[in-house]
Amino acid sequence: MIALDVLLDPALLQSIPRFLTPILLAALGGALCERAGVFNIGLEGFILTGAFCAVLGAFFFGSPVMGAISAMAGGVLMALIFAEFHLRRPGDPIVVSIAINLLAAGLTLYLLSAIFGVTGAFRDPGIQGFAMIHIPVVRDIPVIGQLFSGQSPLYYIALVVAVAMHFFFRFHRLGLRMRAAGENPQGLVVGGVDPRIVRLYALVACGMLCGLAGAQLSIANVTLFVDNMSAGRGWIAVVAVLLTRGNPLAVLGIALVFGFVDSLSFRVQGYGAPQQFTDMMPYLATLAVLIGLSFWRKTRQTRA
Amino acid sequence: MSGWIALSNITVRFGALTAVDAVSLDVDKGEIHAVVGENGAGKSTIMNVLFGLLVPDEGTIAIGGTPHAWKTPQDAIAHGIGMVHQHFMLQDSMTVLENVVLCAEPVNRLGIVDFATARAKLEDIIATYGIRSRLDARVADLSVSERQVVEILKVLYREAEVLILDEPTAVLTPQETRSLFEILANFKAAGKAIVIITHKLDEVMEVADTVSVMRGGRLVSSGPREATSKDEIARGIIGGDLPAPRARGPYAPGAPVLKVTDLVARGEGRPVGPVSLEVRKGEIVGVAAVAGNGQAELIETIVGLRRSAGGTVSLDGQDLAGKDVAARRALGLSYIPTDRQRVGLALEARVSENALIGREMESRFRRGLFQIGSQIDAFAREVIARYRIKVAGPRAKTSSMSGGNKQKLVVGRELSRETPLVIAENPTWGVDIGAIDFIHGELVRMRDAGHAILLVSTEIDEILALSDRIVVMFEGRITGSFAASDADRFEIGALMTSHGSGGIQTRDAS
Repeated sequence: MIALDVLLDPALLQSIPRFLTPILLAALGGALCERAGVFNIGLEGFILTGAFCAVLGAFFFGSPVMGAISAMAGGVLMALIFAEFHLRRPGDPIVVSIAINLLAAGLTLYLLSAIFGVTGAFRDPGIQGFAMIHIPVVRDIPVIGQLFSGQSPLYYIALVVAVAMHFFFRFHRLGLRMRAAGENPQGLVVGGVDPRIVRLYALVACGMLCGLAGAQLSIANVTLFVDNMSAGRGWIAVVAVLLTRGNPLAVLGIALVFGFVDSLSFRVQGYGAPQQFTDMMPYLATLAVLIGLSFWRKTRQTRA
Repeated sequence: MSGWIALSNITVRFGALTAVDAVSLDVDKGEIHAVVGENGAGKSTIMNVLFGLLVPDEGTIAIGGTPHAWKTPQDAIAHGIGMVHQHFMLQDSMTVLENVVLCAEPVNRLGIVDFATARAKLEDIIATYGIRSRLDARVADLSVSERQVVEILKVLYREAEVLILDEPTAVLTPQETRSLFEILANFKAAGKAIVIITHKLDEVMEVADTVSVMRGGRLVSSGPREATSKDEIARGIIGGDLPAPRARGPYAPGAPVLKVTDLVARGEGRPVGPVSLEVRKGEIVGVAAVAGNGQAELIETIVGLRRSAGGTVSLDGQDLAGKDVAARRALGLSYIPTDRQRVGLALEARVSENALIGREMESRFRRGLFQIGSQIDAFAREVIARYRIKVAGPRAKTSSMSGGNKQKLVVGRELSRETPLVIAENPTWGVDIGAIDFIHGELVRMRDAGHAILLVSTEIDEILALSDRIVVMFEGRITGSFAASDADRFEIGALMTSHGSGGIQTRDAS
């Protein structure tokens, strides 16, 4: 019964949130864009910029909070570039997204050597990472304790944002307007609201959330920046957004699946599985979910 | 003297085109003011000015003597002006309540919408004006007339004193139109000003207090309804005398051309059908249905754009099962689709290229692998001349034409194929009176020449004017079938919105 041992391994449970958090934060940002009608597949670039800026802030200000704030600022900067070319000028969102992703990869590499004089990776004891939060009582409950205690503060923020976003879309003025901007923007125009402004808000908030996703990678999971640190998480977030059509609670569910598979693949490596296979697992899971979902939608359609 | 709302000398130019030319219009509280005219006469344009969607190049707007210049609809809304657009601007995934409050949300300091207050206010409005609406229903689940009510609620919720309705009855059955007019009468009694843009003169004579006629961007006349007549208004609209009533040959149907038996079409939600019908040589069969009752799916299945889920379709005795659109067209089927912008035409292509569609392989247009441009242009010129299409020339971009001329191009291309069967789906949708008359004339000419014509329309008047036999569809099934001579518009209207009493109504003469 190796399988059961693996699944209930406290170390595995403990590591799920660290894999889940960056994808969840980025996908929640993507969900805002999706619902507001901005086809944003530049999440990868937003995250990478965030990860770099987090290290920048945490190093120069000596505080993880300042790291997170500068990560958000970096993400917002990328979002504003996106907005300039897609909202103010009629740039195609796919082209703009690709440009953002390439820009982020090149820019972080350049700034890494320009600011820190290193190539490939920057590690320094001066980077102040987040301390994990241990919650009394909760930490002693089996399973729950591993999942909800001893985690990065950004993890808790991500969970709160997911739930809050669900209510935001239903009960907040801006949430309603974002849904309208994504569904029938002309309905906003005749109501005297410019859909581009609504989309700008969505993009800026997306930049912040992706910035935090990057911060989780570079100053919570570890305290260093390496070249191309986002490593495809932005793309997994895009998939999560498209699969759920931007429903934040469903995004949370999918992020859970990915987080679980990600940490499982890490664990399985310890049991001697080849790394090439375990690296594949998150993407296999993506495929499996895609196939399962399309199958489910099809059967639901024919029954209707 | 000027009214409560005074539009003075409004001029709107789009490039070289003057859409509205120095028009002055007065609207008073407690009146229903009809603005009539052909498409392109400028009536929607001037209402968009009043609603702040367009900024006029010249002229002023004054309300109660105070001049205003608004830059966005928000300004107009703030001054009590509301508009129900021809194409509804609703969010399908949202509830009625959410749609109504959108862009005018009552919120607390955190921006959280106070739905309870909004609901109370709306229920008040609903009670005051005798409106029926389900506030928690999703708009996607509503009928067209229920959606229109949502648009009206939006306007009332914003405490509008002026309601502008752009072609409000175009999508309604006679019964629904009647209940809309009842609601409008209540608004009038409450002292609101109502402006209806329409092209249906019977309705104008029924509800309007004041009638303004526009033609070619100018105001032709404006005055109380009692002082004018339907004929006078019609003459004002077209700028001359009415065309003589259309002569048509005697009804002498021949052999069946199209035979549809127990056809089931794949629908978006539930399947459509089973439907059986027959169109014979030398007759026009009209299918009357409110938009979204399966007629589009039925036609697409017959044409071959949608796969069937059962039943048979045959053309001149040949089973069409398994044949694609091209094969069906080759067998003798022409199709004028509702959506000329997306289905009927390639807007970015030249007029000649659109005229050619379906004939590319004919030898006279080809030399080996290449097309012969001069031959294609010559053919396009023929179509342009024969169907009186107003366009710069065969090489002009299709998107440069007006809606009516685009439609004439589709009609011309399809009818010039002279096929045994013509399927015309809302052939005059959004087309001006002159073009309507022309298209109707062409369809009747085809019928007289022995072609079989299947006409689908959401306009009862069009169905009544052209059909020899009438079939009514509701929720994917045929609910009634009449000889045109026995048809009664109210009975048809009733069947378009319900299953009728006790099964299918049939009063076929044959």
